[in-house]
Amino acid sequence: MVQILVYGAVISAIYAMLAVGFTLIFGVARILNLAHGSFYALGAYTVYALTTNANVPLWLAAILTVLLVAAFGVGVERVLVRPLRRSMLAVLLITLAVSLMVEQVLLLTFGSEARNVPSLVSGTYHFAGVDIGAQRVLALVGGVVILVGLWLFMQHTRLGSAILAISQDAEAAQYMGIPSDRIYSIVMGLSAGIAAAAGILVAPFQSVIPSMGLLPLVKAFAIVVVGGLGSIPGSIVGALLLGYSETIIAFKVSIEWSQIVSVAAVLLTLILRPAGFFGKRAAF
Amino acid sequence: MMMSRIDWIGALAALCGLIAAPLLLGSTYIIGILTVALCFGMWAASWDFMSGLTGRENFGHSLFIGAGAYTAGFLNVNFGIVPWWSLVAAPIVAVMFSLVIGFPTLRLKGPYFALAMLSAATMMQSITVIFSTYTGGQDGLNGLDPILYSQLDYYYLVLGFLVASVCLLKVIANSSWGTLLRAIRGDEASCQAAGINVTFYKIASLMISAAVAGLGGALYAHYQLQVGPDLFTVILSINIIIMVYVGGMGSIYGPVGGAILLSVLTEALRGLSEYRLWVYTLVLIFILFFMPNGLIAPLWRRLRSITS
Amino acid sequence: MNALLTVEGLNKRFGGLHAVKDVSFTLKPGSFTGVLGPNGAGKTTMFNLLTGFIPFDTGTVQFEGQSLAGLAPYQIVNRGVARTFQLARPFIGMSVLENVEVPCLAPRVRELGKTRTRAQALLDQVGLGDKANLPVDVLPYGDLRRLEIARALATRPKLLLLDEPFAGLGSSEIEPLADLIRSLHRSEGLTILIIEHKLREFMQLVQEVIAMDFGEVVTIGEPAVIVRHPRVIDAYIGRMEIDEPTPQTVGASVGTP
Repeated sequence: MVQILVYGAVISAIYAMLAVGFTLIFGVARILNLAHGSFYALGAYTVYALTTNANVPLWLAAILTVLLVAAFGVGVERVLVRPLRRSMLAVLLITLAVSLMVEQVLLLTFGSEARNVPSLVSGTYHFAGVDIGAQRVLALVGGVVILVGLWLFMQHTRLGSAILAISQDAEAAQYMGIPSDRIYSIVMGLSAGIAAAAGILVAPFQSVIPSMGLLPLVKAFAIVVVGGLGSIPGSIVGALLLGYSETIIAFKVSIEWSQIVSVAAVLLTLILRPAGFFGKRAAF
Repeated sequence: MMMSRIDWIGALAALCGLIAAPLLLGSTYIIGILTVALCFGMWAASWDFMSGLTGRENFGHSLFIGAGAYTAGFLNVNFGIVPWWSLVAAPIVAVMFSLVIGFPTLRLKGPYFALAMLSAATMMQSITVIFSTYTGGQDGLNGLDPILYSQLDYYYLVLGFLVASVCLLKVIANSSWGTLLRAIRGDEASCQAAGINVTFYKIASLMISAAVAGLGGALYAHYQLQVGPDLFTVILSINIIIMVYVGGMGSIYGPVGGAILLSVLTEALRGLSEYRLWVYTLVLIFILFFMPNGLIAPLWRRLRSITS
Repeated sequence: MNALLTVEGLNKRFGGLHAVKDVSFTLKPGSFTGVLGPNGAGKTTMFNLLTGFIPFDTGTVQFEGQSLAGLAPYQIVNRGVARTFQLARPFIGMSVLENVEVPCLAPRVRELGKTRTRAQALLDQVGLGDKANLPVDVLPYGDLRRLEIARALATRPKLLLLDEPFAGLGSSEIEPLADLIRSLHRSEGLTILIIEHKLREFMQLVQEVIAMDFGEVVTIGEPAVIVRHPRVIDAYIGRMEIDEPTPQTVGASVGTP
């Protein structure tokens, strides 16, 4: 029971970190970013390369990684996505191409076998008769800190309010002189950075392989549909729902059935309440 | 939109080429590749009929392909039914899938239809793994009977179905029905204001699209003599979309060309092994940036305007 | 004479906003009625309620004695109520002719094999005949407004709802379009309900005016009477002076209905 509670919390925190970025860039720029999982994988691999190949101290490597991946996100938005933004299909295909390329680069550089990334913290905690790795606890704490930080940023800075304004009404925001193109780049960087942070936090207890970005993408997708495309609180509630139901089913039924939870949730949501449980109306 | 003489000549030349190709190239290996390419042609054309014309991008076309293929597998392997019946049952099952998914989602605007199709296909993939006693799990169902024992004959059978499907889809697309589908792409609210039952046309198109895809799935299953969960993957759906994009969206014949071109190209690049996906990705980026309307259909239109 | 359209107690709320409030009126066959009111008075919302694009909360809408409640927009069109949009919404990617062919395919008017000739005739009628084969994307704004009207006429409506047909047009374009609309009413006997902001053209066109403000009907009457109604002057003309600095011309045009 306690095990479910703790593991569910860790998974939910990771999912929430992935989903907020995904939903943010959709809500603000209408970009359905299929390369979102690549940011997560790049986070894990960059921190691996910096610590093992360049001998950078781990805490510094983590910070550098977040910045590098955020810059990569900005670059992708500027160079590849922006010229194609008129067509939803073209955006989907170009972000897909980016994710394929990232996977190929990782495969050619690091090979297909799993890599070990050192933990920021070591040891295990004993908590109500359950053993839990310190790194998982750190992932939970780190996730919560980042999400709270994001919330403070959105609520209490000018840039944050500008981002919120665009996600609510892009046209009106543009009339009010908010430079939407720059905001899109910033949001892409932000969303990439958060995904990379999630990758760094899980890397020590997840298998780090080139295709590791695919599953998180599917999860982020599901959470965001359940919570409502473009809604940040929705994506956090969605992450909790999905994180806990997956953990419960994995413990009580089987791992295989837990894999189906996310897609079933998406279908049910789309059929019952298509705009998600926190989104705007989708039909007219 | 009517076919001019040059169009007939082009269609006839393409058909002659497809008839002659296995005779000229000979080997069973190449006939196999071409048979698979024709199946992809059916999938690409059927995707284009629904999504290319109405602009409702379907990111789970593999749902219908897998449904058709597994129908063939079930009937033949689990119940021992003569394989010809697969070709009847597969489209029907695929159409049933399209109704279940189409009714709740096609009334919605935005990316919801794409997301629902993608999720449905992924869910079917997981279901085939979970109910492994019936579906064979990851290994799938093996030992389907071939429909025709000669590989060359089977190639011509698939070609016949491809030609029939493309003709059917093209005739509908050129009729007033096609005009309405393109109008839906243009502006849905205006379509309503024009007195057109938009939901009916979208669902009917999805049903036709699913039927052709399901038939292609059954033909593919009886060529591979095996069906597996990979037939439901997103990757398959996205491959088909790329083929349509390369061929030229909304033209029906272009995507068939795109499918055959990319299938053959993928085989030709097999020697590059791990760099193969690179080529694929770079081709995709190049097309997106420099040929947003695709390759084959625009080239043909240019040729037509030069000759007339 | 029986009413063509009877609206009674129509209501629509969006959250806390009461967008359309207890609206009632009737339209006689062959009448030409205008809807007057400042921005946000609920005019376009009312059009959307009448045409089924937005479902109404309470009230009744009867067309030729039959209720329109719960019908989809396309079903209402096929009963004989056509509309145009405030912002022209052409079918992008199609030719001008094809744009008119689409409504010619509505079940109400569908005649296989005659679609193209009908579409061409309609384009001739609104003065776009020579632009039939152009892609719709290149049409200037004034032509798009005519195209909107041609598409609405293609469904052979008995009642035509025009949502600000003159919006965004220059003064040289307004007069011919007003003539076209007038001829639809006079020679084809079409019943027309029109929303418009440009007072002068408006008052010359219509026989009766429904004045709205804050979602409610303020008063209904002949144009000459309406403009002297104190609440209309207060709600509409008074505020008009702010964005149109020539109250004299407004007054002058009102004097000659």
